[in-house]
Amino acid sequence: MNRPMIELRRVHRFFGDTRAVDDVSFEIPAGEVFGYIGPNGAGKTTSMRILATLDVPTYGDAFVDGFSVVNDPDRVRRRLGFMPDYYGTYANVNCTEYLDFFARAYGLIGRERAKSLKYVMDFTGLDGLAEKPIRGLSKGMKQRLCLGRAMIHDPSVLILDEPAAGLDPRARIELRRMIRSLASDGKAILISSHILTELDEMCDRVGILEQGTLLATGSVADMQDGMRATPQVGDPSMTEIHARVLNTGASLGHWLADRDGISHVVVDGEIVRFTYAGDRQAEAALLREMVLAEFPVVEFAARTKSLEDVFLHVTQGVVQ
Amino acid sequence: MSAGDVTYSENQNGDDASGKLLYQLEQKLERIGERLNPILVKEVRQALKSRMFVIVFALMLIFGWAWSIFGVLLVLSPGVYYNPGGPTMLCGYFFVLAVPLIVAVPLMAFWSLAGERDDGTFELVSITSLTARQIVTGKLGSAIVQMIVFSSALSPCIAFTYLLRGIDIITVFWVLGWTVLISILLSFFAICFATISRSVMWQVFLSVVLVLAFLIAGFSWSSVVVQTLFYGSLPVETGEFWVMNLFVMMMYLSFCLLFTLAAAGKLSFPSDNRSTKIRYAMIIQQLLWVGWMIALALQERDPGVFLVFASCAGFYWLVMGALLSGESPQLSPRARRDLPQSFLGRMVGTWFNPGSGTGYIFAVTSFLGFILVTAFFEITIAVGDGINWSRSRGFDNRLMFAGLAWAYLTTYLGIGRLILLFLRRFYQLGIVASLLVQVILLVLGILLSASAQVLVNGFQNNDYTALQLGNWAWTLAEASDSRGRLPLEVPILIFASAGVVFFVNVCLSLPEIKAVREATPDRVIEEEKELHPERFTEKGGPANPWSDDPSPGSGAEKPSSPEG
Repeated sequence: MNRPMIELRRVHRFFGDTRAVDDVSFEIPAGEVFGYIGPNGAGKTTSMRILATLDVPTYGDAFVDGFSVVNDPDRVRRRLGFMPDYYGTYANVNCTEYLDFFARAYGLIGRERAKSLKYVMDFTGLDGLAEKPIRGLSKGMKQRLCLGRAMIHDPSVLILDEPAAGLDPRARIELRRMIRSLASDGKAILISSHILTELDEMCDRVGILEQGTLLATGSVADMQDGMRATPQVGDPSMTEIHARVLNTGASLGHWLADRDGISHVVVDGEIVRFTYAGDRQAEAALLREMVLAEFPVVEFAARTKSLEDVFLHVTQGVVQ
Repeated sequence: MSAGDVTYSENQNGDDASGKLLYQLEQKLERIGERLNPILVKEVRQALKSRMFVIVFALMLIFGWAWSIFGVLLVLSPGVYYNPGGPTMLCGYFFVLAVPLIVAVPLMAFWSLAGERDDGTFELVSITSLTARQIVTGKLGSAIVQMIVFSSALSPCIAFTYLLRGIDIITVFWVLGWTVLISILLSFFAICFATISRSVMWQVFLSVVLVLAFLIAGFSWSSVVVQTLFYGSLPVETGEFWVMNLFVMMMYLSFCLLFTLAAAGKLSFPSDNRSTKIRYAMIIQQLLWVGWMIALALQERDPGVFLVFASCAGFYWLVMGALLSGESPQLSPRARRDLPQSFLGRMVGTWFNPGSGTGYIFAVTSFLGFILVTAFFEITIAVGDGINWSRSRGFDNRLMFAGLAWAYLTTYLGIGRLILLFLRRFYQLGIVASLLVQVILLVLGILLSASAQVLVNGFQNNDYTALQLGNWAWTLAEASDSRGRLPLEVPILIFASAGVVFFVNVCLSLPEIKAVREATPDRVIEEEKELHPERFTEKGGPANPWSDDPSPGSGAEKPSSPEG
């Protein structure tokens, strides 16, 4: 049976008058990395905590591998690894003792536990720091340790709340590699971050949350694609295109201005920007005509929007 | 030894027999270690390295050595051959050991759990496969290990006191044994307290309350020990001494069970059934209480025993009733999966279901049951002794006292529950709020009655009047006194109000009483079949009147939930 590994079904969570999560629904299949984006106070952590069985929804339900987080938390917990936005480490223990404790707590015994510890140590690159007290670890190493703790029992679902916060660029790249590697093993991963470029490269799909409401979901490419035809001014059905030609920018500008369906032509040296009412086939035909008209075209692209553009476009910057 | 160091080689053989034996022993210990509660392992690793433990341990050793030198100088005078120095030395070591055991260890247990709840590590533990009960017992296990370390460190000194005159081995074991048991009970209590709140402010307040409670317990126990060591001896040759120890031990164990279940209940997931097991523990306590009451009454042939036990039972059910009626009236779908559904099962088991209404009825009927059993045995014993029970000394008073105690319990608990139900429309209130409401009601009952009497009669008339209707303390005292003058209208009004309040509460509890079992989701059954195929048999059918109908989809085919 092909059931989603994570499913939120009309989840609401109210704290008094505050609607922290307001009717949020989405699904994540196995092997997918789903990015959760939203400003502070949008309800990301609250909904992640509900999935991690640390909170209960006011209405609605969430499911992990088909089990309700409200009614079958024990079964959910066996399948789930959660990395919160705090370290949650103990004083007076070293890395091995820390991971060993959580391995025991997840019911791993004997060889199974030793194997799991070794795998996690290798995967997170902590094997050289096994006997080092946790208080002596750097931020990046603590993040690795916490990721190791979340995956010690080989869960099929990982929920990572701001895992890249405070990491240096190298550590971030390594974290990204680790998460992609986990997804390729078939794990469903829900990850939140403020660093949108990180999610851009890491996630298969993203969901944008604001004021507890899920405003948009989809793959990063689809979202960017969905917004490529939206110029800042003029007809929203038109595509914003930029072209770079060698030394003939002004000529191209005049050539374009005389053609049907083209407007808002702006020449900036070798770069010409314009809006064009046409689909991808029409764009390809226009490029062919430009080449046949002997313009030395070196770049021709519909201006795609970054995830940050999408985020800024979809959200209103309202916090609660 | 860290887990990474563990080797699992099967082929390793010792060169000689002793080597083989050691190897086998190590393997056995390793296997036992694998099965140890993870919280215990973690806590011991942490606790024995913690600064507080090191400081307390060092101080205990310093004071132990200091007392050894000072005490020896004090008691080992030229009169050592005829002066009993044992009690003095043991008393000193007792005080040195009592401070860490009765104050420090329970307080460390409190801070261990409260600290974890505060810094978020508890959340990470709570989403593992560990049950709430494992967490509680793990914390307690760590406290016991610390007690063992502390006691072991002083054991040579204590053994030394036995070599002196004036002390026997039973006294030494009795004093130390009960000190450790008290420390364990206080640790249970502390862990229970730590589950009450996550707010730092509350935790600081609770820790102050705990320190005061530990000091009071410490002083009380110390006075018993001093009294025993210096001014008397343990009557070990009498049967009563051992019977009394057995009684205290049984009640002690039942309270340990209750505290464990209560703490585990507070830590468990909100949709879990937190209450049924606690109610079973309460029934066990009630049965123990009744059993000991009857045994004591038969032994002493004194009907006054019933009055003392009934008073204690009334107080017990008042506290427990306040806590139980403070439960949420909403029954989670998860809890509904395990509700009894046969006729007899529902008749008996409904009152053990979680919920405010069932909690109220459970407390009230349990106390009523206690009173009826008490009355039955008082009559039986009187008849056995050839006494006309209806004319036996003070029987009417005892019956009136017990009846009025039940009526007051029913009324106050019921009103408290109604107030809580009303307040819950506006605020989220827990069982602590329920207890608070009950205390306020009981105090108001006394104050308002006293004020009414002062307003109506002035300060001149200090006699009991019908205006003291709400004053449960004075009314009960008056009822138990054979010279008491209780106006006839007072019991009538009290019983009538109890009836009305009980009726209203039962009506409001109908949704809880009528709750039926909810079918277990297919996904859960699917996994259960994968994990435990042996539990799913083809032919079903109730094995006894308490079993459920094996109707498909009713959830009856599901065995009891593995997570309890």
